[in-house]
Amino acid sequence: MRIPILKLKDCLLVSIQWELDDQTALQFQEDLLKKIHETNARGVVIDITSIDFIDSFIAKVLGDVINMSRLMGAKVVITGIQPAVAITLVELGIRLDDVMTALDLEKGLEKLQQELGD
Amino acid sequence: MYNEIISHIKNRKTEIIEEWIDRVKEAADERMISVVSEQVFQGTSYEFVDLILLNLDENNSEYKSKLEMFSEKIVRLGWPITFVVSGLRTFTHVVHDDLIQEKKISKDREGEYLEFLDNWLAPLSNEIIHTYASTWEKTVSLQKIALQELSAPLIPVVEHISIMPLVGTIDTERAKLIMENLLEGVVSHRAEVVLIDITGVPVVDTMVAHHVIQAAEAVHLVGARCMLVGIRPEIAQTIVNLGIDLNKFITTSTLRKGMEKALEMTNRKIVELEEVN
Repeated sequence: MRIPILKLKDCLLVSIQWELDDQTALQFQEDLLKKIHETNARGVVIDITSIDFIDSFIAKVLGDVINMSRLMGAKVVITGIQPAVAITLVELGIRLDDVMTALDLEKGLEKLQQELGD
Repeated sequence: MYNEIISHIKNRKTEIIEEWIDRVKEAADERMISVVSEQVFQGTSYEFVDLILLNLDENNSEYKSKLEMFSEKIVRLGWPITFVVSGLRTFTHVVHDDLIQEKKISKDREGEYLEFLDNWLAPLSNEIIHTYASTWEKTVSLQKIALQELSAPLIPVVEHISIMPLVGTIDTERAKLIMENLLEGVVSHRAEVVLIDITGVPVVDTMVAHHVIQAAEAVHLVGARCMLVGIRPEIAQTIVNLGIDLNKFITTSTLRKGMEKALEMTNRKIVELEEVN
């Protein structure tokens, strides 16, 4: 099952609706980077509101995707991380220090617009 | 033989009690005596001895409930457990001495007699210790619940800004509760900035700092910013001396300054109203 990636003006929207398995996560990484290349997007919002559980591999893939996107000139905001997920991530020692985060999709888009300067 | 001893003890009850009270007073702490009034002391002592004597009768059910009542009363009076237990011990000695004095027991049967005395009084002291222990356990668990209720409230002061004042020592269990409350609160209040106020935390060691840092990181993950306020001079010193890195956080010395900064971060400020003439 592939994760749909939507384009909105110069941003890409991704909403992850179900728990990712390793294969899907890697597929998603490839798809997103391809899409960024195709559309010349300047920003990406990844919404994970519906995810209640995250393991270290998925967290690593997410971190990688963010770094890769940055290399390609797109800023990434992760939105809707659930409290339980946040606790797990912190306990796993995954910081996502320099990643932008926001409470929900709306605020994430706002933040992205601000960062992109328009 | 036992019946003889029992009737003897019953007959000499008053003498035994008086002797016992004298000895207990002698042994007891001055402070202890002054706390308890003479009347209460006498009254309780008589009740105690009555209870011990009741134990000699076969009627067990009444004895049990009375013993429970008595133990609870002693605990309520706030007598230290050592005092009560040593009092019981003294009572054994008094009875023993009295019996020897009155020549009620012969030397060769002393061992047998001691066994009887032990069987007689051991359940009593066990019950008293048990009551004390269960009362303490109850108090401790009640206090734990009370502490948990006070533990970590998140207060939404103004739109997009919430404050969590922390008071008292932070242990691992409490840190977990703080983290959960903090994150749930941030999401439900839709806060953008959270201020953690550590004015009331007496000591900040590496463990507390670790917990606070973890909480702040988790807050970052759910999409809000975290500020550490209320850093007292001595806490600033400890933090630097321990080599804890808080450079990633915005920190201020007082909640007021933190609040101003938080308003600034959300593009707002407090203005005074012009006076209306």
